[in-house]
Amino acid sequence: MKKLLLVVAALVLVFGLGACSKVDEYEIAMITDSGGIDDESFNQGTWEGIVEFAEDNDLTYKYYKPLEVSDAAYLDTIALAIEGGAKIVVTPGYLFETSIYEAQDLYPDVYFVLIDGVPHEPWDDDTAFNTADNTLPILFNEHEAGFLAGYAAVIDGYRNLGFTGGMAVPAVVKFGVGFIAGAYYAAAKLDVDIVFGDDTYHYFGDFAPSDNFKNMASSWYTTGTEIIFSAAGGAGASVMAAAADNSAMMIGVDIDQADQSDTVLTSAMKQLGNAVQQALQAYIDGDFVGGAASFKGASNDGVALPMDTSRFATFSVAQYDAIYALLVDGTVVVPADYATLVTFLDDATLDYPSQAEVEGTTE
Amino acid sequence: MEYIIEMLNITKEFPGIKANDNVTLQLKKGEIHALLGENGAGKSTLMSVLFGLYRQEEGIIKVRGEEVVIDSPNDANDYGIGMVHQHFKLVHNFSVVENIVLGFEDTQYGFMKYEEATEKIAALSEKYKLKVNPKELISNISVGMQQRVEILKMLYRDAEILIFDEPTAVLTPQEITELMSIMKDLASEGKSIILITHKLKEIKEVADRCSVLRKGKYIGTVDVKTTSVEKMAEMMVGREVSFVVNKVDSKPTNTVLEVNDLSVYNHRLAKDVVTDVSFEVKAGEILCIAGIEGNGQTQLIEAITGLRNPSKGKIVLNSEDITHCTVRNRNLAGVSHIPEDRHKHGLVLDYSLEQNLIIQTYFDKKFQSRGFIKFDAMRDNAVTLIEKFDIRSGKGATTSARSMSGGNQQKVIVAREIDRDTDLLIAVQPTRGLDVGAIEYIHKQLIAQRDAGKAVLLVSLELEEVMNVSDRIIVMYEGEVVGEFDPKVVTENELGLYMAGSKRSDQ
Amino acid sequence: MVEKIKNYFITNYLGISTGFSLFLFIFIIPQLFEDSDLIISLIRGIIFSIVVGYLVYKFLLFRRNNPNFVPSESKLVVDAGGSLVAIIVGLLFGLLLMLLVNPGQAFYGFSIILRGGLNRNFKSLGDMIFFSVPIILTGLSVAFAFRTGLFNIGATGQLTMGAFVAVFIGVEWGALGEIHPLLHWGTALLFAMIAGGLFGAIPGLLKAYRNVNEVVASIMLNYVAMYLNTMLIVAYIYNRDYARALDIEETAITPIMNLDLIFPGSAINGGIVVAVIVVIILHIILNKTTFGYELKAVGFNRNASKYAGMNSKRNIVYAMMISGAVAGLAGGLMFLVAGKHLKPENILIPEGFTGIAISLLGLSSPIGVLLAGLFYGSLQQGGYYLQLLNFTPEIIDIIIAVIIYASALGLVLQKFVKMILKRKFLEKEDGEPQDLAVEGSDE
Ligand SMILES: Nc1ncnc2c1ncn2[C@@H]1O[C@H](COP(=O)(O)OP(=O)(O)OP(=O)(O)O)[C@@H](O)[C@H]1O
Ligand SMILES: [Mg+2]
Repeated sequence: MKKLLLVVAALVLVFGLGACSKVDEYEIAMITDSGGIDDESFNQGTWEGIVEFAEDNDLTYKYYKPLEVSDAAYLDTIALAIEGGAKIVVTPGYLFETSIYEAQDLYPDVYFVLIDGVPHEPWDDDTAFNTADNTLPILFNEHEAGFLAGYAAVIDGYRNLGFTGGMAVPAVVKFGVGFIAGAYYAAAKLDVDIVFGDDTYHYFGDFAPSDNFKNMASSWYTTGTEIIFSAAGGAGASVMAAAADNSAMMIGVDIDQADQSDTVLTSAMKQLGNAVQQALQAYIDGDFVGGAASFKGASNDGVALPMDTSRFATFSVAQYDAIYALLVDGTVVVPADYATLVTFLDDATLDYPSQAEVEGTTE
Repeated sequence: MEYIIEMLNITKEFPGIKANDNVTLQLKKGEIHALLGENGAGKSTLMSVLFGLYRQEEGIIKVRGEEVVIDSPNDANDYGIGMVHQHFKLVHNFSVVENIVLGFEDTQYGFMKYEEATEKIAALSEKYKLKVNPKELISNISVGMQQRVEILKMLYRDAEILIFDEPTAVLTPQEITELMSIMKDLASEGKSIILITHKLKEIKEVADRCSVLRKGKYIGTVDVKTTSVEKMAEMMVGREVSFVVNKVDSKPTNTVLEVNDLSVYNHRLAKDVVTDVSFEVKAGEILCIAGIEGNGQTQLIEAITGLRNPSKGKIVLNSEDITHCTVRNRNLAGVSHIPEDRHKHGLVLDYSLEQNLIIQTYFDKKFQSRGFIKFDAMRDNAVTLIEKFDIRSGKGATTSARSMSGGNQQKVIVAREIDRDTDLLIAVQPTRGLDVGAIEYIHKQLIAQRDAGKAVLLVSLELEEVMNVSDRIIVMYEGEVVGEFDPKVVTENELGLYMAGSKRSDQ
Repeated sequence: MVEKIKNYFITNYLGISTGFSLFLFIFIIPQLFEDSDLIISLIRGIIFSIVVGYLVYKFLLFRRNNPNFVPSESKLVVDAGGSLVAIIVGLLFGLLLMLLVNPGQAFYGFSIILRGGLNRNFKSLGDMIFFSVPIILTGLSVAFAFRTGLFNIGATGQLTMGAFVAVFIGVEWGALGEIHPLLHWGTALLFAMIAGGLFGAIPGLLKAYRNVNEVVASIMLNYVAMYLNTMLIVAYIYNRDYARALDIEETAITPIMNLDLIFPGSAINGGIVVAVIVVIILHIILNKTTFGYELKAVGFNRNASKYAGMNSKRNIVYAMMISGAVAGLAGGLMFLVAGKHLKPENILIPEGFTGIAISLLGLSSPIGVLLAGLFYGSLQQGGYYLQLLNFTPEIIDIIIAVIIYASALGLVLQKFVKMILKRKFLEKEDGEPQDLAVEGSDE
């Protein structure tokens, strides 16, 4: 009998206690994608923007983690965030495209900010895009960021360049195309020859660090490559390690990676924080405009090199501002794909990476 | 102060059985006190209570006149009680020293003080003439030596009261003689000893007094000098036991097992451990392989039963060459085998008694249909054998083999193998650890098998058994057969000389 | 006779009435106040009540048939009790951690974790079941091998191979779906099992015929599977735009089997049905068949099984193969889900390792593993809803991990703790059987 009472007491405790406790609400919510909050990439960049904005404006904020990487789990976590009081949900990464596609209609009163993707139906084929009015997809002109990095490197005196990507997904390819464009643009301007061809253009096939990647980067460095731009997320760490071993330099990606290694010359940044903050600002001002993607490039402060933390020898802030201005006013239109790259460079004698290599169709 | 240990009115119950029922045991200082009882009478249990492994439900324990509570072997240690278990508890790939200090490590700044320990052990070994090399690995020393390590372990912990649970069951006759004198030395040094054994001769030789248990109950304590062996046996079993094995002469007929020039190579020792052994066993006879432990008998039997590959030679069963058959096929062809090591080979300790009883026959139509075990048939089989062989345990057929007393575990194996009713029965030390009553029974069974026209191959270390049961004897020494004898003609002495290698007859 | 009827009545009546009252209290009465679908609630309630009623009935029947049953003498009860104690210890560890990081909400948070799969009633219950399916299966995989004395650390690799093959068929063999919708899914699953089984057989063969330690071999094979998986995805079913495998055809998606009626709004699918069938099959194999008898004998004592003429080599291979097949099945079910994708990542899939803890906790028995897996799923749900409080997901992950591993570890430590506790009071209280028998030392 005693035992029975104990069981009943325990049940009451478990099921009764919770019911009336008050739970805090969080107005701004972010859902993490496959990585953690400190992934030194999308999650982190976005989150830092949110934290800064929310602190400044005295708003409540929180991030949620899905139980797994799947459309259903993402959608469920969005629901959880809304249950937790979210009025605006920020989702970093294209993996959220399909879940936002559903969520935007399920929760018409909630605003969604989808970074680096556009909501569309599940299923690869018959892909139907639809961006509701309460959803703002934010896309970046990666090619512009890549361009800035390539330009700065060559101006700063590097002549022997390399590029490593995580996988040949569109965003990464755009970084590569822009990087090639920037480097050869600067070379033409300085009238110097640079070495940057197929041999030093490669996709790892993975975004996680590995010794293989480090070895590959090392072999590039030992055969003369002076700097490698690594648009490979976490795998960039392998390139940093290789650079450190060879006293060489590399260029980081997405966010400012200067504090990760002394070998980071600069980073081709997407201004995730800025972009999110712009959206949040619109939200609190009551003029959140969804329905169509917003492109963040040089013209709206969406890409940048972190000049404060860069380790350039000669490339100055003035030079940076000058090239940036050219991008902003459209004097220089950075190519976003290989075909436009070819017309942009317009010089068949140059030995820049081939189409197959850049589009990752060699494997 | 008269008694160093008093266990008064101890009761200890296991599920389904009172292992000790109001048992009293009083041990005088400096005496060797024998504890006698049938298999499963509760001897090991009583000692486990004293050693702190079990807690009694009723009764008290007094050490040196004071009532104490012994909750763990560590407590037992503190009261100066040490125990050598029926099955040793040594770590095989540790050295002697490491085993001895295990759980009693003397450390300095976190480092083991091996040197001192080694010295102390060497000194103790010297003092009691144990001849143990402290640096040797356990896996490299004989069973007898391992036992001495267990003794050293107790002495190292300054034990005053030494418990030996069936120490002689695994020893060769020579080792037994040596152990007896070691025990006498220990007693004369003032140590008090409790000795569990089924061998009345040993009790007669070393013990001062003897307490008898029967089915968990205390029967009485007698003075060994003035009590006959027969009387003690009767107290223990509750009836008269006959020590002579009655049998008619054998009438061997056709050859069942034929072993030709069999050799077994040992890769670790890089030599043959069985060399060119040939013999045959006929239906209706008991052939005994005698010899001191470690002279190749184990390997020879393993080769015959298929547990080991011979390097050379031929094994023929009922004129069928089985040299390269699997164990399963040999079993089916008619080999039963009571193995030497009941825990290693004979039983799956985590299986129940009934499961253990069908270990070679589970796939038989009798116990299986379409891949499913017939649980009823399994149960019936167990119930029959338990009844027939008087296997005692707490929960009958469902008792886990692990919880059974050593002797009853042996009976399970014997029952199973005899029941298989095959042409050839190989029995390696079948009576190891059995009480006199059970031994008598097993011997009768072996002879009954013989009389029923089976061929019996017996391996035994005990001369008495060899002489009493067998119809023909061959002696093995260093892997070779050194002689063949008729038990009615040869003397124990003569056999002993052959077994020790000081004599050999060239065939 | 009268006695018999009375007994019969009592057991049945009690069982039925318990089920019925639960049905009333939990399913009907709330419906009078909420305006959700009464029919669905009825169906759900009936099923649930029948299950509970049946269990109560079974229990009472058992009590009646075994009037002298003393729980403390049953190995099952004692062992399960051990698991329970371990879980409680694990939970307390979790609570302690929560008190450290967020004392204000620790108790409320703890109640959320305890409520686990019941946090959102049938939705979270369905989610809990959905997420526990792979864990149950990997747990079964490890447990089955373990019963044969083998430590299959390679469940991850086998799962990965199964997952790849299933997804490959799911992507490529759409034509099967045109013949019959279930054929496509079934084939994908079947081949996932075969792939996992073959991959599991490798360490089995190495162990049996080359005496290579299966732990080492299967760890290595985990990496082989991981890299192979990456390579094969990129080569055959790569969705370049998303850096992951292509979507599987609709016909290869695990059918829901109407379970959404009982668990509306949840992610549940027919995976649990497969898992339960596997539990039953493995339970029968292990406990009722000669094959299982052999496998366990080999597991308990290889020497004795050899002595008994069992072909321990063959058994080792079979056991590893079955173990691998079950892990492969886990992989298949994990990824034959809409909106979930295999990625060419060089990461070992963690479910394989969680399976080890679950197998420990479930005492390596299929039914135990089923329960332990559901427990894990429940914890996971609890942790998920804990996000509504002021706990960061990282801390929650740690809390859940602590609970699971403290529980599993607790079981291992229990042997030692038992030795101490038992002599202090357990022994006196109920005279439980001792497994540290004097005669007990194996080998
Ligand atoms: N741990 C245990 N659990 C259940 N029953 C046990 C346990 N240990 C011993 N028993 C039972 O208690 C009884 C006494 O066993 P014990 O080992 O003390 O006998 P024994 O006198 O030493 O016999 P033997 O000469 O065969 O070694 C046996 O019936 C045995 O089955
Ligand atoms: Mg005993």
